[in-house]
Amino acid sequence: MDIMSFMQSMGTNNFTLIAAFFIGLMTAISPCPLATNITAIAYISKKINNGKHTLITGFVYTLGRMFTYVLLASLIVYIGINVQAISLFLQKYGERLIGILLVFIGLVMLNIIRLNFIKSSGKLDKIKEKLSEKGYLGSFLLGVLFALAFCPFSAVLFFGMLIPLALQYSDGILIPSVFAFATGLPVILLSFVLVFSVSKLSSIMKKVELAEKYTRYIVGLIFIIVGAYYIWKIWL
Amino acid sequence: MNKKYIYAGIGIAVALLLIFTIPKYFTGNVTASGAQISSGIEKVEVYHFHATRQCVTCKTVGAFSEETVNTYFSNELKSGKLVFAHVNVDLPENKALVDKYEAKGSSLLIGVYGRDGSFSKREDTNVWYKIGDKTDFTNYLKGVIEQKFSGL
Repeated sequence: MDIMSFMQSMGTNNFTLIAAFFIGLMTAISPCPLATNITAIAYISKKINNGKHTLITGFVYTLGRMFTYVLLASLIVYIGINVQAISLFLQKYGERLIGILLVFIGLVMLNIIRLNFIKSSGKLDKIKEKLSEKGYLGSFLLGVLFALAFCPFSAVLFFGMLIPLALQYSDGILIPSVFAFATGLPVILLSFVLVFSVSKLSSIMKKVELAEKYTRYIVGLIFIIVGAYYIWKIWL
Repeated sequence: MNKKYIYAGIGIAVALLLIFTIPKYFTGNVTASGAQISSGIEKVEVYHFHATRQCVTCKTVGAFSEETVNTYFSNELKSGKLVFAHVNVDLPENKALVDKYEAKGSSLLIGVYGRDGSFSKREDTNVWYKIGDKTDFTNYLKGVIEQKFSGL
């Protein structure tokens, strides 16, 4: 049995939660959300040398995705918002929004754009510092945002396969949560592998500090490249 | 110390909730069996909906579907018993069709018209798993369309 027929039999499993999980996995490994996944991996593994931090950020990123998927599914299942309208809208505008935002965030990371205009009180500054230091809020928001980027194929998986299941069981919470967990899992695993290998490599080369210093710039660059890719894909 | 109890409480609550809700998901897939049309089939429509920008996978689904109907249903296509088209959901002239089929973006939708004037439609998501194997894809879709013609 090849991988696709395995994915199909799991994705249509009688136990709906398993089906939701495999539809999510399919979303994560399909080529079209690859660009967002690379960006997420880069962001999550930006603190090399800290496996625990990577795991937690990866988990928080997944929670962000969960937030979006649960919100969308709940709007459809509980409030009865038109699936067609929401799907076509997100496919049309989701990636544009993400392209622009990614380039902007990348430029901020590279210090090309400085956010000096946000003047705030000392206390707010401290909170902001704390949040950006650990990056949990950042990765949560990244998850929220990336889950909104529906390319045609991930729209098929979410709106064509997962939402019908959610509607069938009138469940806008558990089914999309399981789905979201599966979409984040490969990202967490790959980030972990990346962090592990980079920290091993840099410690062998005795260049840990140097690597730490450059990761921020590399991550910023990846953001800009992926953002530019989305913008290019749509407007050119 | 208090935090620990709160976490434990939340943990137990979530666990209990899951234990009580999970069994309902075991009831199995209700296979979407379109109402059986006994009066005979007037026409079958196979539409490949897509947006202006298409992904590689979406193009493959469209191309394989077109090949399937051209190979196995050329007579039905000529007689008008079978209709196949690629439909761009972004174009205003297709709006009526997109709304009729409630297309949510890239999708393969099959509509069946009965002689009694009935109409039923179904999105086929299985085709997406078969784009790696053209023979599998064509055989599957051929079977689905034949089934529609036999009124199942």
